[in-house]
Amino acid sequence: MPPESPIIQTFGLTKQFKHVRAVDSLDLAVRPGELFGLIGPDGAGKTTTLRLLAGLLDISDGSATVAGFDLKSRSESIKPLIGYMAQEFSLYGELTVLENLRFFSELYDVSRSERRERTDRLLEFAGLTEFTDRRGKLLSGGMKKKLALACTLIHRPQILLLDEPTTGVDPISRRGFWDILTELHLEGTTILVSTPYMDEADRCTRVGLMFGGQLFACDTPLAIRAGISGDLVALKAADWRRAKSILQDLEGVLEIQLYGDALHVRIDSARKRLPRIKRELRRNGVDYRSLRPAPVRMEEAFLSLMGQREQKS
Amino acid sequence: MAFRHLMAVARKELAHILRDGWTLSLVLFTPLLVLILMAYALSADIQHVPIAVLDRDRSPASRTFVAQITAGDDLELYATVEDLGAVEDLFTRGEIKGALIIAPTFAADVASLKGMPIQIIIDGTEPETGGFAVEQIGRRAAEFANAAIVNQLAGAAGESLQTIDLRVRAWYNPSLEPRVDLIPGLISLVLAFPALSAALTLAREREHGTLEQLLATPIGRGDLLLGKIVPYIIVGLINVILITAVARVWFRVPFNGNFALYFGLSALFMFAALSMGVLVGMFMRTQAAALALSFLLLFFPAFFLTGIFFPIVAMPEIARLEAMGLPGTHYAIITRGVFLPGVGIEVLWPYAVMLIFLGVVFTALAALFFRKKIG
Amino acid sequence: MNLRRILSLAWKDTLHLRHDWWLPAFMLLGGAMELLLIGWATSRPVTNLPLMVLDGDQSRASRTFVSAVMNTGTFVLEDYVRDEVAIREALARGTIYAAVIIPPGYAEQIIRGESTIAVLLNGAESIPATEALRAIEGVSSELGLAIMLERMGLDPQDVEGFLPSLRVWFNESLSEAYYTTPAELGLMMEFTVLLFAALSFSRERELGTLEQLLVMPYSRLELIVGKSIPVIAIGFIDFLLMLGVVHFFFDVPIRGSLFLLLILALGYILVELGKGMVISVVSRTQHQAFLLVLLVGMVDFMFTGYAAPVESMPAILQYLANIVPAQHWLEIVRGIMLKASDLRVLWPQIVALIVLGLFIGTFSFRYVRRALY
Repeated sequence: MPPESPIIQTFGLTKQFKHVRAVDSLDLAVRPGELFGLIGPDGAGKTTTLRLLAGLLDISDGSATVAGFDLKSRSESIKPLIGYMAQEFSLYGELTVLENLRFFSELYDVSRSERRERTDRLLEFAGLTEFTDRRGKLLSGGMKKKLALACTLIHRPQILLLDEPTTGVDPISRRGFWDILTELHLEGTTILVSTPYMDEADRCTRVGLMFGGQLFACDTPLAIRAGISGDLVALKAADWRRAKSILQDLEGVLEIQLYGDALHVRIDSARKRLPRIKRELRRNGVDYRSLRPAPVRMEEAFLSLMGQREQKS
Repeated sequence: MAFRHLMAVARKELAHILRDGWTLSLVLFTPLLVLILMAYALSADIQHVPIAVLDRDRSPASRTFVAQITAGDDLELYATVEDLGAVEDLFTRGEIKGALIIAPTFAADVASLKGMPIQIIIDGTEPETGGFAVEQIGRRAAEFANAAIVNQLAGAAGESLQTIDLRVRAWYNPSLEPRVDLIPGLISLVLAFPALSAALTLAREREHGTLEQLLATPIGRGDLLLGKIVPYIIVGLINVILITAVARVWFRVPFNGNFALYFGLSALFMFAALSMGVLVGMFMRTQAAALALSFLLLFFPAFFLTGIFFPIVAMPEIARLEAMGLPGTHYAIITRGVFLPGVGIEVLWPYAVMLIFLGVVFTALAALFFRKKIG
Repeated sequence: MNLRRILSLAWKDTLHLRHDWWLPAFMLLGGAMELLLIGWATSRPVTNLPLMVLDGDQSRASRTFVSAVMNTGTFVLEDYVRDEVAIREALARGTIYAAVIIPPGYAEQIIRGESTIAVLLNGAESIPATEALRAIEGVSSELGLAIMLERMGLDPQDVEGFLPSLRVWFNESLSEAYYTTPAELGLMMEFTVLLFAALSFSRERELGTLEQLLVMPYSRLELIVGKSIPVIAIGFIDFLLMLGVVHFFFDVPIRGSLFLLLILALGYILVELGKGMVISVVSRTQHQAFLLVLLVGMVDFMFTGYAAPVESMPAILQYLANIVPAQHWLEIVRGIMLKASDLRVLWPQIVALIVLGLFIGTFSFRYVRRALY
């Protein structure tokens, strides 16, 4: 397999449940060594996609290959090669941290001699060394996720499929978690991770934006952010409501969103429109503290791209 | 098949039992406790059956007759009443199971060998005790009549009404004590309890969401299903030892067979019963569902259709067929055979073959229908 | 107490079964179907018992005896054999329940009045063996009497008056269904109610949702009542369906007041519900709850009189039987259905059920309420 050919590839992948089409003709290609982020709100179809790729669901239509194996016919051959981490805690609450690790090491045929070394390393990696004898159900949310990741990594999978690994985890643990993923990425593991948090997208090498069971954009985070038209300016005004109503009707203003105490205004061209905006605000007596170009965030890119897609259809 | 995978699942399942003292003691001792209680309750001989007497004759003969009827431990003179209404009342209240009505002409009729004008009434809602009462009263009435006839008929002195002498020998259980054979029968019932526990295990994984992670691993279906069974086979075999010991030492049920053989056949039974349990609970998403289903498909049939309380030969065809598909039926035969006649494999092999057959079929069906998919 | 909140909770619990919507349906219909099968299989006289005959006499008299035995309808003839070895082996294999051995010279012995017939029974299955013995004994005493009368030159009609006449009350046709099916109904209903009640809180505790439930604005009372409603509904519908099966398929009459029976059924369900609720809070997992249900349910079953009459149990168990609701309930079911008993007759059972119900109910309510923290 040449290095550039995708390690995960789907063609028109579709999953139809009784009432919902959770994944709708999805075309996705992840190359070896990528840290690929599947971004989208709840209900976008991320979990179903990951479950399909892990061989846990039957495919309704289309096809997919993982590590060269066809998902329909060879889903069992895929399993030793992947590490799958479910969204909900799905380890054994009755077993201790160490016992959970041992259980999965045996199911993945990790040899006895390698097990000890890997277990120690993973425990340290996940910061669970002190909690080896604690039962799974007594761990905190973040520790549960880290234990789940450790269990997923015990057989050194080529491919990691992680379903919202940071949901319900505090910000500090989240950062730590992403540090681990980055490290794995640097070691060459292919990672497909889903997340509802847009800010996590920037730590991926490539992201796919998902909504309604479809991928509507797929590129590097940089390209996605650059891909949205116009410029973004951040405006801090005392009376943001009024400022918003004034700007809304101005020519060249594409979109206004409120972020904390600032309005993010997307305009077709900052150079062309900024003077006019300043003028209008002053004319209407709106006090503003700052008005300067702002970097595009993934969230804005997501919303804007989604808006464009809706307009198209 | 990977033995290591199987054992990993088995160890994890065993941890579920061992982690919680409550679960462990319930799993280990429920069969034993149920056996002990039921053995005490069910194995007693029928005795002290309350009857009422309505003596319309009130003659010395009738009084002797009544005294003779109620002489033993089996029938108890609960009340002497004056009219039929009182008898009916006692029956309705459930206070008596039988009644003896003696006609006013009793003494005269017996003396003249005209006959013995008595009537026995029983409570048809409890034929067990009612039938027993009829039998006992009838037997003593016959003795009484016999004596009367013999006394009256000249030249027939020393004769007996009973010309055919039945020499009854009940093998393996000379006094036909229910205790002796009911306990081996009950053993096969209580040892089916672990199968109900096994029915829960896959539903538990589903309910707790742990199945998702498990199915993403390369474990084979057979290993997963068998791994779920192994701990309960161990539990079941511990129960076999405990229960056999209690039956032997406490209830003094003879054990005439070979214990090693019994142990081995018990393992076969466990295999068959537990695979059936796993198969029954396999598709349920919640433990409640698995439980409800296993009560219907495992417990009640094991109770009524395996020939413990009602002989299988007397059941209708369909029920007999279903009984053949229940591991407990074959195991009940094995248990009784090993305990009482003490027969060996030369007699029991067909049942052992059936157990292996059922176990393999249930496991194969489970492996066939179990898919490593969620939802 | 707030009725709307209680109903919403009860509804949530019912909704919980939505994914397995067929479960309650199956449990209800399945219970009735199961009763149909089991009742059908077991409510019949014991027949078809395989019998072996060793006729060493081969005379008319011996054949008369054998055909009289076969005519009882209790047996099927397994085989005529020539020696005892075959019988011995068949008994060991458990393929026959009884064997009749008629010695050579039986016909002559009869004339001398000293005939002997050996009966071998399979004591390894005492229930059918006892049935077999009863049948053979009946034949032997009937034939014996006839032979003796013949010898004494008496007419059989002369001693007919010596045979007691038998009347069976409440069950004139001697239908086995009359006493098996009400007990089977009682057992299955009890297990259903106990099981569902026992799972109510143990399920929430096991899955960690109990915490969530406890912080919601329900009072403990509302929580318990809300949890109870689906259980009561399931138990009662179950009872109705099974009663239908017993009445319409097995022709067991309902001679007393149906209304009284239904009211008391509801009361009995409440008593079992109380027991189930206690199980549900002492259990941490559904597995434990189920094992406890098994234990408690089996103890109750002993006292329903299905397999052995309560009167014959050891004295201590007979006292114990008084505090088992199932026992009083079975008396009530049999009484109303078969004996047309009314309150006048059943009041001791009803009072016992009420007292037990109040006791169990109070204990259960207090215990459950305290456990729910």
